[in-house]
Amino acid sequence: MKSNFYIPGLVLAIIFIGCDGTSDTASKIKIGCAAPLTGDQATIGIDMCNGVELAILQANDLAAQMTPGATGIEFAISRQDDQHNPAQAVNVAKKFVSEPAVLAVVGHFNSSCTKPSSAVYNEAGLVQITPASTNPELSKQGFATFFRTAATDDVQGPKGAVFAVKKLGIKKIYVIDDKTTYGKGLADEFEKEARKLGAEILGHEGITQGDKDFTPLLTKVKPLAPDLIYYGGIYPEGALLLRQARSLDVKAAFMGGDGIATPVFIKLATPEIAEGTYATMVGGDMHQVPAAASFIRDYEAKFGVLGQWSAYGFDSANVLIQSIQKAATQDRPAVLKSIREIPKFQGITGDIVFDAKGDNQNQFIGIFQVKNGKLAYIGSAE
Amino acid sequence: MTPFDVFFQQLVNGLTIGMIYALIALGYTMVYGIAQLINFAHGEVFMVGAYLGLFFYTVLNHTVLASWILIPTFVATMIATAALGYLIERLAYRPLRDAPRLAPLIVAIGISFLLQNAVMLIAGPSDKSFPSILEIKKYTFSHVTITNLQILITVVSLMLMMALHFFVKHTRTGKAMRALADDRQAASLMGIDVNFVIAVAFVIGSALAGAGGLMFGAYYSTINFHDGYLAGMKAFTAAVLGGIGNIPGAMVGGVLLGVFEGLAAGYLSSQWKNVFAFLILILILLFRPTGLFGARVVKKV
Repeated sequence: MKSNFYIPGLVLAIIFIGCDGTSDTASKIKIGCAAPLTGDQATIGIDMCNGVELAILQANDLAAQMTPGATGIEFAISRQDDQHNPAQAVNVAKKFVSEPAVLAVVGHFNSSCTKPSSAVYNEAGLVQITPASTNPELSKQGFATFFRTAATDDVQGPKGAVFAVKKLGIKKIYVIDDKTTYGKGLADEFEKEARKLGAEILGHEGITQGDKDFTPLLTKVKPLAPDLIYYGGIYPEGALLLRQARSLDVKAAFMGGDGIATPVFIKLATPEIAEGTYATMVGGDMHQVPAAASFIRDYEAKFGVLGQWSAYGFDSANVLIQSIQKAATQDRPAVLKSIREIPKFQGITGDIVFDAKGDNQNQFIGIFQVKNGKLAYIGSAE
Repeated sequence: MTPFDVFFQQLVNGLTIGMIYALIALGYTMVYGIAQLINFAHGEVFMVGAYLGLFFYTVLNHTVLASWILIPTFVATMIATAALGYLIERLAYRPLRDAPRLAPLIVAIGISFLLQNAVMLIAGPSDKSFPSILEIKKYTFSHVTITNLQILITVVSLMLMMALHFFVKHTRTGKAMRALADDRQAASLMGIDVNFVIAVAFVIGSALAGAGGLMFGAYYSTINFHDGYLAGMKAFTAAVLGGIGNIPGAMVGGVLLGVFEGLAAGYLSSQWKNVFAFLILILILLFRPTGLFGARVVKKV
């Protein structure tokens, strides 16, 4: 029985330590950034949060240049790692909700993480913008706090199919996905449109994230002799899938979504093997957008090579910064009201206009192809 | 490709990964046979082996050894993982030798997390690309493709297994290992140094896992700090399939599991691949807990 006395004391001690930790940073307004920051998808997540951090640094610099005490709201980023694990994503969301200084969140990256966490944000009235989760179901949950800047899979998948069937003249397709909300959603939308356009779908199979050996599936695919293998999923499995396909002499072209449109995919698959791979991507080539030139310069000076999601993270954070600055009071309900009142935000990825569901009306999809070991922008998808 | 070619190709692929499962399974089975301990950190030793293999390969590639790089890389990796295995045994398991069996099991899980996170912090969280350790050549026999890497993996695995078999059957230490597996108390009464023999089992098991890790990295060309978990669980399944504690059983169990998994994924459904593998674990534990080759334990009255 003696030990029972320790527990309330310990709890109190933790509470006091907790209060101490937050009180000195409470003057700053925090914008959360939730993404996989460790693990196999860390590269994409860090790229995204770097974009958010750059937006915050620039806003603080601007505020510092103005006369002190004017509208000098100081922002800070709070990066949280959801490990692309839905359960961890909910923990991260609860952490943001419980911290009063967090007025808005950029995140999450994976659709499977955004889905459960969006319910937590909605309950707390905390505004969330996902720059990267592309699953169409996310905005159909009726959450007022949900916004996204990325184009959705029901646009990306079909646009990829139109490109494959009409532009490349592909007739026989084998579809593979990684069974995640994102991967399966994208692959299903691709398949639907490809069928409609008259392509023959030889099969549609799933693989498991984290697995390494896809040769059993590819050995089954080989005698079917598809013209194209379409993969809905993320780059670690995508790169292995492509390598193993080539080592089994499967000659089909390879195409995927934004999950494989990253330099890491090329590195893991090796440039020789990745050569010729097609990928659809939310957004175009930032290097070809004049308005983004200063963003790229600042980003590369601070963080190194620009990632595929950095610009979307940057734009999402800027929308939030503007909403917070224009809000009547610096609290969550006012920010939610304020973000709805922005008619049009001119971002570097294009104009951002939210519809009633929180989706961006500007749904831009670019087509990329690996050429000479680099992702080359072919053009916008029709 | 005829259906027969497809079947044969699946067999070749399954055999290759099965060899690696078998190498890891040996570590599980030897340690269990001798110390009655399931070393769940063993999968992590395998993963560390893959990283060390990459490290030694990169370092040695810039030395005079570059033209014969494979042998020194294998040797260095195996020595390093053997040392790691010894450290784990000495620091974590030996102090708990007489503790209840649950304690070392929980320590094993702790070491597993420790190694995963240490590798993540040292080597970084993202996938590492593994260079081609030899120039890939493909041999095609009526549409069935076999690469020289697959042949290398099979040959090296078989050689290591034969060496282990010889060691256990024909050396003094091997004899001591068998004696310890039969009856630890009697063996120690006969003057066998129990701690030494258990350490040897850890060292050999870890060296084999290191070789397995190196070949796994080379075969799949990317490695990640959490690769040890799934591979370790599969190898554990293989060890149980062959009869845990039984060395030839682990070899056969590994190969069987690799082939079965490949065939099930290829002919039934690839998204259920891991389910099939672990279904075997459940079925074996339910209906034949001693495994395919495990001797039935005679209960003492």
